[in-house]
Amino acid sequence: MSATTISEAPALPRLGTLLETAAAWLLALVWVAPLLYAVWAAIHPTGYATRFELLAPLTLSNFAAAWEAAPFGRYFLNTFVLVTMVLVAQFVLCTLAAFAFARAPFRGSGILFGLVLVQLMIMPDILLVENYRTMRALGLVDTILSIGLPYMASAFGIFLLRQTFKQVPKELEEAARVEGCGTLGILLRVYVPLAKPTYLAYGLTSVSYHWNNFLWPLVITNSVETRPLTVGLSVFASTDQGIDWAIISAATLMTSAPLLLGFLLFQRQFVQSFMRAGIK
Amino acid sequence: MTQITRRAALIAGASLLATPALVRAQTVRELTFYYPIAVGGPIPRIIDGYCEAFQRETGIKVNPVYAGAYGETLTKAVTAIRGGAGPHFSCLLAAELHSLRDMDILAPFEEIEGAGDLNAWASGFFPAFMANSKAEGKTWSVPFQRSTAVYYYNKDLFRAAGLDPEAPPRTWAQLIEAGRKLTADGKWGVKMSNSSGNGQWTFGAMANQAGHKLMNDAGTETYFTDPRAVEAANFWRGLAFDSRITPQGVTDWGVLAPDFLNQTAAMIWSTTGNLTNMRTNARFNFGVAGLPGKESPHTVVGGGNLYIFKNASPAERAAALRFARYVAQPEVAADWCMKTGYLATRPEAWETESLRRYTQEFPAALVAKDQIPVATGELSTFENQRIYKALNDNLQAMLSGGKSAQQAMADTQAEATRVLRPFRRA
Repeated sequence: MSATTISEAPALPRLGTLLETAAAWLLALVWVAPLLYAVWAAIHPTGYATRFELLAPLTLSNFAAAWEAAPFGRYFLNTFVLVTMVLVAQFVLCTLAAFAFARAPFRGSGILFGLVLVQLMIMPDILLVENYRTMRALGLVDTILSIGLPYMASAFGIFLLRQTFKQVPKELEEAARVEGCGTLGILLRVYVPLAKPTYLAYGLTSVSYHWNNFLWPLVITNSVETRPLTVGLSVFASTDQGIDWAIISAATLMTSAPLLLGFLLFQRQFVQSFMRAGIK
Repeated sequence: MTQITRRAALIAGASLLATPALVRAQTVRELTFYYPIAVGGPIPRIIDGYCEAFQRETGIKVNPVYAGAYGETLTKAVTAIRGGAGPHFSCLLAAELHSLRDMDILAPFEEIEGAGDLNAWASGFFPAFMANSKAEGKTWSVPFQRSTAVYYYNKDLFRAAGLDPEAPPRTWAQLIEAGRKLTADGKWGVKMSNSSGNGQWTFGAMANQAGHKLMNDAGTETYFTDPRAVEAANFWRGLAFDSRITPQGVTDWGVLAPDFLNQTAAMIWSTTGNLTNMRTNARFNFGVAGLPGKESPHTVVGGGNLYIFKNASPAERAAALRFARYVAQPEVAADWCMKTGYLATRPEAWETESLRRYTQEFPAALVAKDQIPVATGELSTFENQRIYKALNDNLQAMLSGGKSAQQAMADTQAEATRVLRPFRRA
């Protein structure tokens, strides 16, 4: 009797781990399937996009065709300028705002922070016309700056950094002050370094959001000189002609490659900082 | 004295007011034109060419802005107009007529300075292409990037199935018969799209094939519960569930051309706008024919018209109209037709030497033209997108087996009646 319980006891957890691993693999497969399909379609001639033949001829001509179809070099540059600009501005603005909300109590701070949070609940798409009016008043229609400007004061970033700053022990701040650090020095030497995981995690969500954003850039830009990659990708959406899966896959891989590569390279850091920052 | 000063002041004031208008009238140098295609590919290059030629002739620079698909161009144009920096004119779906009128952003052509002999010019377009242009006795758009629904069929597969490749189906019964022979493992007899944004187009053709029009000209009423509309829906459902020659569930527009080119669909209901694509990419013999009807071929028109917006100054409107007239000239329209496969919108263009020679070499182009007299206008109402959504959702439910044809049509009509109620009252 006791012998059987002993032999059964380890079997149950092992079954649990097995199920967990299987489920993880299943989810991973489902997640990676579209990507695998895109790779398959992109490196074979058009005809093989919808049938599977192991020995189908390989080709890179889809990438060449996709690259030729639109000025992607320029679009890459535009997107790169855009996400860098937005990220830098967000880091600066959100850090300062979050620090004020977290550690500099002032009259009306609660209400003001509440107003910032309200911004989280408004879909940016609703503000399309209003933002357009503002950009026009500023004379910025059809510039890269106009794509990024509405997103620079990010409520999400302020909220996230404020929460992180609040967790920093007061003692560290006091110690720094005793050592002769000014307010800005405390922010830059104590708070910012301690919030590094939050910056990394927030930076990733911001970059991927602006890398993928479509509607606002489409509306506010008119020319090749300002349009980002996503708007350029829509060249393949001229559906009158139907969709060429091979070329659209090649183009999609091409435009998402920098993000994918970045994620694969820094995967460990990203996952860790997400865990620490609590973003899901 | 005071009298004189006052008059002088009045004159001075009036001339001050008048001068900018006069100056504006003489100095329209640039127009902005939103065009529904993305940058790249052959079509933007063709449009660029027309704009440059127009500038050489008139001195007016037209800046085309390529804005993606029709829906995106509409969003972009409306946002920009509301934001105060809209385009002067744009190519948008012909079927958006009532929705655009409802937004009150259009300038009717009759009210444009120098429109003069508008009627003589406007009546030179094929009447079917003007079907979605007139309302309240005014002209709100003129045809440009136009097409009709036609079907492409694979002659090689027809031959292999023992069908005459030179006698494609002309009636519903013939379509079902041919489809049965062509449907095999992994190959469908016929495919047509019922995806959002496209189902209403296919269905508009089918309703016309049954001799029915789905809405009134004012765009305030729809007739989905009419027995002929139900008959058309039932025919479509039958293709998927009785004769099983078309797939059940949702068929996306984007897969039609690739499936046809991969020879996994023997016939596809598509647009003449696809002609050049097929001609370049098909590695088998294919034919083009008018969509079969209940008794004889009937179809629907599609595509985009040129709209001129209210936010343009009178002089800019006149210049935009001049551009619309420029691209409607026989030689330009013929060139557009040959390069893209879209149809020349005026009968006189088909009489040009170049287009005659082209249709002799490539008779398929003529099939599309011959469909124009048996074509109906697109489903076009107020709140167009909401009506489309109601119809397409119900068509998809029907083709997935969730609803009978009767039920699908009744549900569509109920939703359409609800959405259009405010417009009927007005």
